[in-house]
Amino acid sequence: MSFAMLLSLGFPLRVFSQELAPASTAEIRFVEDVQPILDKHCVECHGASKQTSDLRLDLRSAILKGSGNGAVIQIHKSAESRLIEVVAGLDPDYRMPPEGPGLTAEEIGILRGWIDQGARGPDDQQALERPLPWSFKPIAKPESPSGVAAIDYWLERKLVEKGLMFSPPAERPLFIRRLYLVALGVPPTPAEVEQFVNDSRSDAVEQLVDRVLADQRYGERLARHWFDVIRFAESNGFETNRVRYNAWPFRDYVIESFNKDKPYDQFVSEQIAGDALGADLGTGFLVAGTFDIVKSPDINLTLMQRQDELADLINTTGTAFLGLTLGCARCHDHKFDPITQKDFYALQAVFAGVNFAERAVRRERSPDEKEKVDAITAELADVDQILSGYIAKAEQTSAAMGLRAAVNARQNEESFEPVTAVAVRFTIQESGGSQPCIDEWEVYNTDGKNVALASFGSKANASSTLPGYAIHQLEHINDGRTGNNFSWISNETNGGHVEVTFPAAQAIQRMVWGRDRSEQFKDRVSTKYSIEAKKEDGTWIELANGSNRRSASGSASEALIAFLSEQDQKDFKQLSASRRELQQGLNKLTDAQTVWLGTFNQPGTIHRLYRGDPLMPREEVQPGTVSSLMGVELRKDTPEQERRIALAKWIVDPANPLTSRVMVNRLWQFTFGTGIVDTPSDFGGNGTPPMHPELLDWLASEFMTNGWSIKHIHRQFFLSKAFRQSSQPNAQGLAVDADARFLWRFPPRRLEAEAIRDSMLVASGVIDYRMGGPGFYLQRVEQDNVYRYFPKEEVGPDEYRRMVYLTRIRQEQDPVFGAFDCPSGNQVIPKRSRSNTPLQALNLFNSPFVLQQSTILAERLQREAGADKKAQVQLAFKLMMGREADPYEAELSVDLIEREGAEAFCRAMFNASEFLFVF
Amino acid sequence: MFLRTGPNSILPRRDFLGSSAAALSGMALAQLLQRDGLLASDQTHGPIRPAIDAANPNKARKPHFEPKAKQVLMIFCAGACSHLDTFDYKPALWKYHDQPMPGADKLITFQGAQGTLQKSPWEFRPRGESGKMVSDLVGQLGELVDQFCFIHSLTSKTNTHGPGENFMNTGYTLDGFPSVGAWTTYALGSENDNLPAYVAIPDPRGVPQSSGNCWNPGFLPAAFQGTDFNAAAPVRNLARPKQWSETADKNTREFLAQLNRHHLEKYPGDSELAARISAYELAARMQLSVPEVSDLSTESPELLKEYGADLSGSPILNTKAGYARNCILARRLIEQGVRFVQLFNGAYQVGGEGTSNWDGHKILKDQYTIHGEIFDQPTAALLRDMKRRGLLENTLVVWCTEFGRMPTFQAGAKGRDHNPAGFTGWLAGAGVKAPYAYGATDEFGYKAAEKVATVYDFHATILHLLGLDHERLSYYHNGIERRLTDVHGHVIQEVLS
Repeated sequence: MSFAMLLSLGFPLRVFSQELAPASTAEIRFVEDVQPILDKHCVECHGASKQTSDLRLDLRSAILKGSGNGAVIQIHKSAESRLIEVVAGLDPDYRMPPEGPGLTAEEIGILRGWIDQGARGPDDQQALERPLPWSFKPIAKPESPSGVAAIDYWLERKLVEKGLMFSPPAERPLFIRRLYLVALGVPPTPAEVEQFVNDSRSDAVEQLVDRVLADQRYGERLARHWFDVIRFAESNGFETNRVRYNAWPFRDYVIESFNKDKPYDQFVSEQIAGDALGADLGTGFLVAGTFDIVKSPDINLTLMQRQDELADLINTTGTAFLGLTLGCARCHDHKFDPITQKDFYALQAVFAGVNFAERAVRRERSPDEKEKVDAITAELADVDQILSGYIAKAEQTSAAMGLRAAVNARQNEESFEPVTAVAVRFTIQESGGSQPCIDEWEVYNTDGKNVALASFGSKANASSTLPGYAIHQLEHINDGRTGNNFSWISNETNGGHVEVTFPAAQAIQRMVWGRDRSEQFKDRVSTKYSIEAKKEDGTWIELANGSNRRSASGSASEALIAFLSEQDQKDFKQLSASRRELQQGLNKLTDAQTVWLGTFNQPGTIHRLYRGDPLMPREEVQPGTVSSLMGVELRKDTPEQERRIALAKWIVDPANPLTSRVMVNRLWQFTFGTGIVDTPSDFGGNGTPPMHPELLDWLASEFMTNGWSIKHIHRQFFLSKAFRQSSQPNAQGLAVDADARFLWRFPPRRLEAEAIRDSMLVASGVIDYRMGGPGFYLQRVEQDNVYRYFPKEEVGPDEYRRMVYLTRIRQEQDPVFGAFDCPSGNQVIPKRSRSNTPLQALNLFNSPFVLQQSTILAERLQREAGADKKAQVQLAFKLMMGREADPYEAELSVDLIEREGAEAFCRAMFNASEFLFVF
Repeated sequence: MFLRTGPNSILPRRDFLGSSAAALSGMALAQLLQRDGLLASDQTHGPIRPAIDAANPNKARKPHFEPKAKQVLMIFCAGACSHLDTFDYKPALWKYHDQPMPGADKLITFQGAQGTLQKSPWEFRPRGESGKMVSDLVGQLGELVDQFCFIHSLTSKTNTHGPGENFMNTGYTLDGFPSVGAWTTYALGSENDNLPAYVAIPDPRGVPQSSGNCWNPGFLPAAFQGTDFNAAAPVRNLARPKQWSETADKNTREFLAQLNRHHLEKYPGDSELAARISAYELAARMQLSVPEVSDLSTESPELLKEYGADLSGSPILNTKAGYARNCILARRLIEQGVRFVQLFNGAYQVGGEGTSNWDGHKILKDQYTIHGEIFDQPTAALLRDMKRRGLLENTLVVWCTEFGRMPTFQAGAKGRDHNPAGFTGWLAGAGVKAPYAYGATDEFGYKAAEKVATVYDFHATILHLLGLDHERLSYYHNGIERRLTDVHGHVIQEVLS
């Protein structure tokens, strides 16, 4: 073929030199300009994880070194550089990258510019290795005083350097209010304040801190923070957003874990592999995130949905426990941290067997309960024996009348005289008002072989198939697989037929068919039908139909007992009723609770995905952990549960420098408002380094040596000078450190949505401190395919529980408190933003909830303080601010009550800065 | 700045200055100014995180470069509005009507198997001076084609509604990312201090399928959340509660202000406390300005008629009138300088697929006849009205939907299945080339074939028109410098005027 012919055929020809994009003349920098291009196009095959042709293009030094075939760039001569030749497609046989659109002219120009300008870049030595982030280094054990003193020691050293010092201790009323709000999320009662203020024991503060740490409300408060960190919420998210009615046991598990001061290493392990550790409820963590239930036959969608689920789980695990943004390595090696894309897929192999589903778990039973269980079980056996006697009697009668058993959803049989047929047909005449479903139709020949199977060579045809469901396609009628997930549904209400043609004529005599042999579904059962055979001469004869079956309405036993005498029927019904009662009693005792905890199966092979695309799998990856951090690698066939156990062990290994550092930092943030590392879920290169590295390490080490006790760490914090000091600002402090990151004062902060609502209910006195169990709702739920939520117009005592017991619906914010930076439960929020917005002001000033609470509080003031307005004011200040009103405040307040009434006063108090902040 | 007080302030001006001006220490003020200055600096690389004044988070901020548009009106048709029955004319669908689509025998889309190619039930006609073909379903909008810049080659990453609506409104298919409007107000704040910077106007039938995700702040501070209200349902908790007289309300506010100021004296220099006080001030101003902007009674009867806001008599006409009133509200908000207005047509699924939104799976003709009736006239009136008032000079109008629909009918149905491979959106107003059509789908309208555009490109272009560099506008969240466009997106230069 001549050159001219090629042109005339329109083949795109690459013409040398003319096609080469000009070198950029701007100043080109390696890290900012060149590396992103190489990362995008080349590093996939020529990077840290893989070096095709011994070439690495992720480091300047490696580029200079060249490949196994020699140099790839000629400094100052970009047009002669092999790298440019191949990316520009100048070599007609060899273009890089081999797939995709390749580099743009602009990108080539930048590479050329860089080469022409001398291929300069960071010092080789620096560029050779991305330095390990500070957090990957082992935890140091710095010399320091022990106990509480250590905290103040390290803080004071920094303060002195800055020319600052701690503020004087806070007054006792302020301190107890602060401690309560921080640790419990509600203010102390006036009596508690008074008791503490008058406590003259030398260890009054220690006593108070211990009391607070033993308070059950502590677990509730800390749990809410944990839920932010792991984005726990109780609906599926996305447009259907259905409620997870049984996700709450995990919430109770977390609260209880904190209250019992469960060692943190155990708490972490249980969330990853609780099913193996006798703590089933812990695995609620694995399925706490969003889950898209809208499935489609379109494979692209299904794969991407699954990939998103797993990525979210990996990222949450990484950020929550390790402060590592593992999710960043889904499409490429991590940009800032030593985490490869391979690491990501190794972790995917750990989690790939986790399914978003409910799991039945056993409740623990007391010995007393066990005894009862035995008694009821024995009684049930007796009753069953008598009942089966009646059923046998009824069966005899009905058989004598020539009637067969009623059709059931699971499995039905048809037997008939052998007949030679080339095809069979199953025609449905009635199926409960919807389109009929058959999971498998087995047709046996006289040799006992199922000749309907597709694998036998038989072909299925149907009058119609319900569109849109991969699990209900025609092929499932004879694929040898049973159950709803492998079934055929016609597209005709109460109708349709399916035909199976054998490869050759068969002598057949028996058939078995069902609707769902996995026994989940009982609808769509064909109750009236006709089964025919096509003989070799082409004529059809009927083999069986449903007309000689007993009615399928009601349960099978109900249909049967119609054949008993009236007296027998009466006795049978009575006995059945007592049986139901017995069974219910037993269920309560033995109840295998079904909880949203996930199910597990052995995953198939896991591949690294090119650019995270599930349709572009690359090499197989073994289960494992982050390789640069004492990485663990497991065999490919490691059982599913063992994978998660191995991951948990690796996370809580005391040699893992991240886990303890990350958690003590969270507790620091929980206590002081901002962490020692203020990027609490990113301890990597894109996060910020610690303000007090020695202190952080001291705390991490203290945490582990004290049995990973969270309460131990909290106790040290609460007793520290830093926590006990005043929150009042001073000019020097503001000038040097306006945010008080160095803690020259206790930094005041606005309370979170939950603490505000809880505190209002405490102040008005109606709070319901009932713990645990199913949550309450602030929205009316309309259940359809898509769940819809409408804020309740009015709330009452049912909604007066602490907000941690609110059934948290994704995306749907509470109309009053949602505006207070309340997370929507979709993404992990390790640190809430703290906005002050006009919508918040409107909600607190005008919402029916706050007005209602104002009325209740006003009534309380009148009830408890009597008619004296001054006394009412003082009580309100004690309840809400933990102190008495000063004369100015008292005068203003009395004046308002006199003019506008106590309710107006309460309404304003709920909006007061002091009430809404911790100081 | 937050020191501003107004006639409706809950604080007497003198007192407020006396306490909270002193409250901001000179140091903190200097820091704020310094951070503000960063924006205008000549740095050319790296993330730009606008400095947010805690006391007034929506204070107007400078864009990254000279903008073409200052405000955005984004009209979103929920449920996936078919490009093939509105703006993307494909003669091949008439030619090959009721024949199989070549190469698509095994095609599996969202709901399953495909039937044959189907022409649109609506005629297409040349419109405007440009002669652009638009269907009778949106005939009134069609008359405005000369103002539109079509992007016919949009593609989405998903074919389900929830993720699709998330993607078009937030740049991510997952729940919980900040919406385009949240990013815009985070970057630019607002010129109007008396109204929310960002308003989302849900359809009279309800919120879209992705619900509040479409206007949520995600991980951005709550200050950048879209305030959702429409002509029928006012801002929640805005009005003075009935049980309180105006005087009582005022006295209570004054008491609160005095209490808070008194308390602030103990904490001089605490900017968060000062911020709370100014939030109450802004709230008080909103109490006056929101009802004012929502009050359509000052609009002329002719104008109401033009929009279709005067219609009633059937459920469809009631909905249409409701949507028309929302359109008028949108214009009034833009007129008042609201930075970002999001107007929704179509709600969540209720009463079966395609009844309450553009999800026409079953009987396209019946379903779309209703939606076209509701959508076309009011939206066209809105654009004409904005043009007459000169609002299009500074406002970018964006019309979009989550994805397109198939050129075929579904097997066994008379409607079109989801199609993320190619669909249409359009831009109009400030900074946009018009009449213009960018990109194209293939012969049948199945896949974007020329100048394929992603949702990232679409978003990058919107930000660009606002003077924002989509690669640099960032917010640090959980270890990542987040962007609206993730790590993707190119400004579609060709559509810029």
